[in-house]
Amino acid sequence: MEMDSLPNGNSTTTSTTAPSTAPPSKLTQLTESLKLEHQFLRVPFEHYKKTIRANLRAVEKEVSSVISAVNDYADSDISNDDAVQRLTSLVSRLQGLKRKMEEERRTENLQAERCRARIDHLESPDAENLTGWANMRLKRILVDYMLRMSYYDTGLKLAESSNMLSDITFLLRALMIWQIECQDLVDIDIYLEAKKVIDALQNMEIAPALAWCAENKSRLKKLKHTQIKLLLAETFATVASNSDPGVNILEFNLVKHAIIVNAHCSYGWQSKFEFQLRLQEYIELVRAENHMGAIAYARKYLAPWAAMHTKEMQQVFATVAFKGIPECSVYKAFFEPKQWDYLVEQFKQEFCRLYGMNPEPLLNIFLQAGLSSLKTPYCYEDDCTREDPLSQESFRKLAFPLPYSKQHHSKIVCYITKELMDAENPPQVLPNGYVYSTKALEEMAKRNDGKITCPRTSLVCNYSELVKAYIS
Amino acid sequence: MGDVIGFPLSTGMELSNVKDAFDRVGKKQKLSFSKSHEVINQVSHEIEQALVKIQSDEDPMSPIDQKSILTELKHKLITIAPLKQLEGSQKELNLNLSKLPKLLEKSFPDISMAYRNVDFDFHIVNQILASHFYHQGLFDLGDCLINEAGEPEAAALRYHLLELHQILEAMRIKNIEPALKWVSTNREKLIQTGSNLELKLHQMQFVEILKRGSRADALNYTKTHLASFASSHKKEFQKLTVCIIWIGRLEKCPHSELFAPVCWEKLTEELSRVFCNLIGLSLQSPLSVAIAAGIEGLPTLLKLVNVMAAAKKQEWQALKQLPVPVELGKEFQFHSIFVCPVSREQGGEENPPMLLPCLHVLCKQSIMKLSKGSSRTFKCPYCPAEASAVVCRQLYF
Repeated sequence: MEMDSLPNGNSTTTSTTAPSTAPPSKLTQLTESLKLEHQFLRVPFEHYKKTIRANLRAVEKEVSSVISAVNDYADSDISNDDAVQRLTSLVSRLQGLKRKMEEERRTENLQAERCRARIDHLESPDAENLTGWANMRLKRILVDYMLRMSYYDTGLKLAESSNMLSDITFLLRALMIWQIECQDLVDIDIYLEAKKVIDALQNMEIAPALAWCAENKSRLKKLKHTQIKLLLAETFATVASNSDPGVNILEFNLVKHAIIVNAHCSYGWQSKFEFQLRLQEYIELVRAENHMGAIAYARKYLAPWAAMHTKEMQQVFATVAFKGIPECSVYKAFFEPKQWDYLVEQFKQEFCRLYGMNPEPLLNIFLQAGLSSLKTPYCYEDDCTREDPLSQESFRKLAFPLPYSKQHHSKIVCYITKELMDAENPPQVLPNGYVYSTKALEEMAKRNDGKITCPRTSLVCNYSELVKAYIS
Repeated sequence: MGDVIGFPLSTGMELSNVKDAFDRVGKKQKLSFSKSHEVINQVSHEIEQALVKIQSDEDPMSPIDQKSILTELKHKLITIAPLKQLEGSQKELNLNLSKLPKLLEKSFPDISMAYRNVDFDFHIVNQILASHFYHQGLFDLGDCLINEAGEPEAAALRYHLLELHQILEAMRIKNIEPALKWVSTNREKLIQTGSNLELKLHQMQFVEILKRGSRADALNYTKTHLASFASSHKKEFQKLTVCIIWIGRLEKCPHSELFAPVCWEKLTEELSRVFCNLIGLSLQSPLSVAIAAGIEGLPTLLKLVNVMAAAKKQEWQALKQLPVPVELGKEFQFHSIFVCPVSREQGGEENPPMLLPCLHVLCKQSIMKLSKGSSRTFKCPYCPAEASAVVCRQLYF
């Protein structure tokens, strides 16, 4: 039975609540937590990578166009003057390219510095600046949340604000370098890139979002590769078995045709987000009752996606058959203004994936982990101490769907001092069974000539009547 | 817990691996840049050469054959193969560019793995954040967020916390008046909680007067402000009044601990604590505490998710209790939790901890089992002593 399974049954007689392993020091813990900083390192690097690749492509393109120009000239009959003029312009084009490369290089170097600043920042915590470093981390987490939620003013303000709890030297230093430093440690400019697109979407403009898709075409493609393969398999199965009554047969045939033509065309491997953007433009045409325009638009821009998004395609094509906004809820949904909010959400997700960001705000991830680790049944009792975040109604609500923490060892907190009791400060039992820490009881006895008053039952006893409890 | 020691070391190493990989990217970027430059210069040079030839041929009578010069240029460019050259240097750069994200993925886990798909109500989160900013004294930020996110609540809290921060601000320049004003308006509530903050504030004010060195002022302050504490806090009162004798040479005073600069810090902290308690808040921002707990707990949770089989990933989303303990520091222990060393179960109202006569503690159910339903005596699992269920006493933590 249970007794046999006790690993060290007789050695614990003298120990009390001492945990089995010494708790790791704060610095050790902090070093361990550096593992959680994937996004912090990844985002600026993805940005840097994007710039480098774009610049490489630009150089390649320009050089190759110069070469093909030379080839053209060699193959055609041009006059002497013409040749001189054209070659001169080629030379100045190459000069221009070199100038542009220098400029772009400065951008690259700035971004490289930012990556380096982040690596350095992760190397910087030591015993002296622990608190400051942790405060900075909390700020980073909060800025991430603000920017993701599009609270740009608050996010910027927080990033720019100096540390309230800091000393004067830090304040002075802060005045000079805070702005630069902070912007190295949070991804404001990247979020501002996102903001442009989001603002446009909120004004029901699609062009900036499509431009963004085009700009990041190759990277979006790569991300989706495996997902698309799966979708494709699924699609063919659906197409084979589908007979949705609401579908305009003629248009559906068109779509089917498009599937065959385009399924293997590289043009089709695009992100779902771009499809959704196109869909929305189509919907706007239908909303304006421009049916011919809508069909033409669909042929041109939507058909290539048919292979992957059959169901949406079918539904959305059906909308053209109605006059005005359809009553049926399936189709009506396409015309809801919240479709635009949905696009904003989609964009944010796509954007996060592209830059290697977590799909969830860091705040939510850490808050969830923290609340799970802190959650005990006692947190929800009325006398829960104010120091426990879970004594607050708002935190209780957030923690509601989360699991409770688990304990393998007793942890006894003194009712009086609120301190965790251990071998140095062991628990003592009053004659009525109430337990307090030795520290608190000694203090009380000293003040009251050896008398102890139980704060919860008002029982009065002598310090000599107490017994030590051994809790393992 | 086994790799508590190994973990930080490896983090350091992983970070330096990342640094190396990043340095390599930098080097390759430089190389690729100079290579591109070189290639452009070569092409440019050849074109310029051709230009010179075409132009120098202008004077002589012989007809200039720009076509052959251009063809020659074309062939020269083919031999230079600028695109191929570019490709070569780019390839290496690209290789290194793709390596780093892979390295990052390997050594820095995806923290969203431990995330449960439950959506936090962002109104609640925003209110928590606004309260956090107010709590930290960052009123501008709190207001800014409330505005931007359109959250009307948290205004009452703001009022109280603003008062607290004004009091603290004044105390920072050793002005105790606002604090005293607050204490006197809340005197009754403070007495109920057993706080002697008012005395402590007057004591601080008095100490400052002593330091300034005017005996008359000190006596005057004693009469007007300290006298009311003479009977309720006899010891403290005597201690303070006796200090008047040492004016001018306070360092020799037997109660010199009263004059230490750290007293101000302690008093400020106590005031914050008492103030926060009175308005139902904690001294520390609850958000800071919860996030700090999350940062400490997340590595364990990630390890847990990692070892859970893929099939159990669904279970992770539905767990009612974490399957392993997440060890947090002392500062996160807010509640007494008794785990019976025999049954490994958490004690509760129906299964309370009981004290054996040998002073070892087990839960009631374990004692019932050991004593076969309290029908006979049993040996304590931790020592040779015998006990019976009736002599065990319930404990209250």
